[in-house]
Amino acid sequence: MSRLKEALKSGKFVVTGEIGPPKGVKLDQCLHDADLLRDHVTAINVTDLQSAVLRIGSLAVSSRLIERGLEPVFQLTCRDRNRLALQSDLLSAWTLGIENVLCLTGDHPVLGDHTEAKPVYDLDSVQLLKGASTLNQGRDMAGHDLDSNPDFFLGAVVTPAAEPLEPQIIKMKKKIDAGAMFFQTQAIYEPEKFESFMKQVQGFKVPVIAGIVVLKGAAMAKFMNANVAGISVPDSIIKEMEDTKKEDRKKKAVEITVRIIKQVQPLCQGVHIMPLGWDELVPEIISEAGLS
Amino acid sequence: MHATIQKSIDEIAGYFKPGEKVFIVGCDNCAAKCHSGGIPETEEMANRLKHKGVNVIGWCVPQPKGISLCKLSNTKKVLEEEYGEQVKAADSFLVLACGQGFHTVMDATDGGMVHPGCDTIFGGETVTDNFITEYCSLCGECVVEYTGGLCPVTLCAKSLLNGPCGGAKDGKCEVDRDRDCGWQLIYDRLKALGRLQEMDIYREPKNNSRWSRPRSLTIGDWEATFKSLGGESKISSRG
Repeated sequence: MSRLKEALKSGKFVVTGEIGPPKGVKLDQCLHDADLLRDHVTAINVTDLQSAVLRIGSLAVSSRLIERGLEPVFQLTCRDRNRLALQSDLLSAWTLGIENVLCLTGDHPVLGDHTEAKPVYDLDSVQLLKGASTLNQGRDMAGHDLDSNPDFFLGAVVTPAAEPLEPQIIKMKKKIDAGAMFFQTQAIYEPEKFESFMKQVQGFKVPVIAGIVVLKGAAMAKFMNANVAGISVPDSIIKEMEDTKKEDRKKKAVEITVRIIKQVQPLCQGVHIMPLGWDELVPEIISEAGLS
Repeated sequence: MHATIQKSIDEIAGYFKPGEKVFIVGCDNCAAKCHSGGIPETEEMANRLKHKGVNVIGWCVPQPKGISLCKLSNTKKVLEEEYGEQVKAADSFLVLACGQGFHTVMDATDGGMVHPGCDTIFGGETVTDNFITEYCSLCGECVVEYTGGLCPVTLCAKSLLNGPCGGAKDGKCEVDRDRDCGWQLIYDRLKALGRLQEMDIYREPKNNSRWSRPRSLTIGDWEATFKSLGGESKISSRG
């Protein structure tokens, strides 16, 4: 059984990390970043062409994590692959020892660096979850029997700070019905909004792992607000970073991140830390948040 | 209506070999409404190309008024009976119309070279005389009964059937912050119609074989048959 599944089942507060594969063919840095997280997190998400920018695929990197005794969360988006390729990559993933799968819609190609690429979206994230659940049950999406089946621990994403929130909650329920067994959220910056969201989804009885993005500075926050889908950093935090001297930026980043983690901890079942390049800060953040 | 826009004059002028005798054909329906291939635009195209040294031997926009170029029987009749000499003399044709009208000219003439003068861009609603916009993607599997009449294939950048995704901000789509999130529009509309429960229902993946190309429609007596890679679907319109 996946360690992530076991940990969530046991009611332990989990910490997950994340790495983003590079644009090239050398994995040294990426795997080094994963190694930094080794004893600090239960599992490590591997992104799937995040922001629609060409990189090494999450299947290959997830497999390399398995080789190193680390547990990946294989992120799989609907943007680039039709239902055949998606199911095939899922079967392939299982043969490589991958159990945790995060099913996502995927950022649109116009946001990335191959803007003329054909957006596939043959399935949406709910249909992908359903498809993966079907594989778990020993059949493919066209109803044919598999000769042997995987047993994925399926996850999905939700955006607690969305406005309006109701469509997200409607879709979250559909994702659970389709087989989602855990959720990792888009980045949280306003614990009060998150608390309100958690109250609304209590009845779903599914573990929610709060997404935390480490902010490097006001410029990064503004950039993300304008360019990164699903992220919304409030003005109060931008101001807090603007008022910080350049040499204190890393310290402030850790401080803000730890503060948010401590505020969300009593509300959910874990945190998912997305360092976006400041991977070396993650062990410190985890330790200062009291999560080691 | 099929929205069309002329290709650039340089691209069009670049089609022709020196001395090539060209006959230009426009369309009095959609292309006229888009001002890409109506009578004034077709006449003007003839003048512009002549000015650039192209051997334009004539032009026409088949009548009666408002008729589509893509109606083969009419286009063939007009070209043979009213412009027969020029059509015979032409080395090639330039069509200012949508791809359907373009192909009709190929079918209506001897299968010689036909040059496309327009890009066919979408099927749209004529909101005003000056603004046409797309609400339908011609996917062959209409689901708007479940989305308050708004098409998720067209209005959602990702064509999600179980939307929204997590990329919308302030009701705007992640691909363009000036564009409404299709599923925000659908959510608002379903709420207004008292049909929000439609969003609770799981929608199956699209049958892409009904969206394969080319497709055909055969019309019989009170019945029609739609043919695509997804098979033949015969529907009766009575009984």
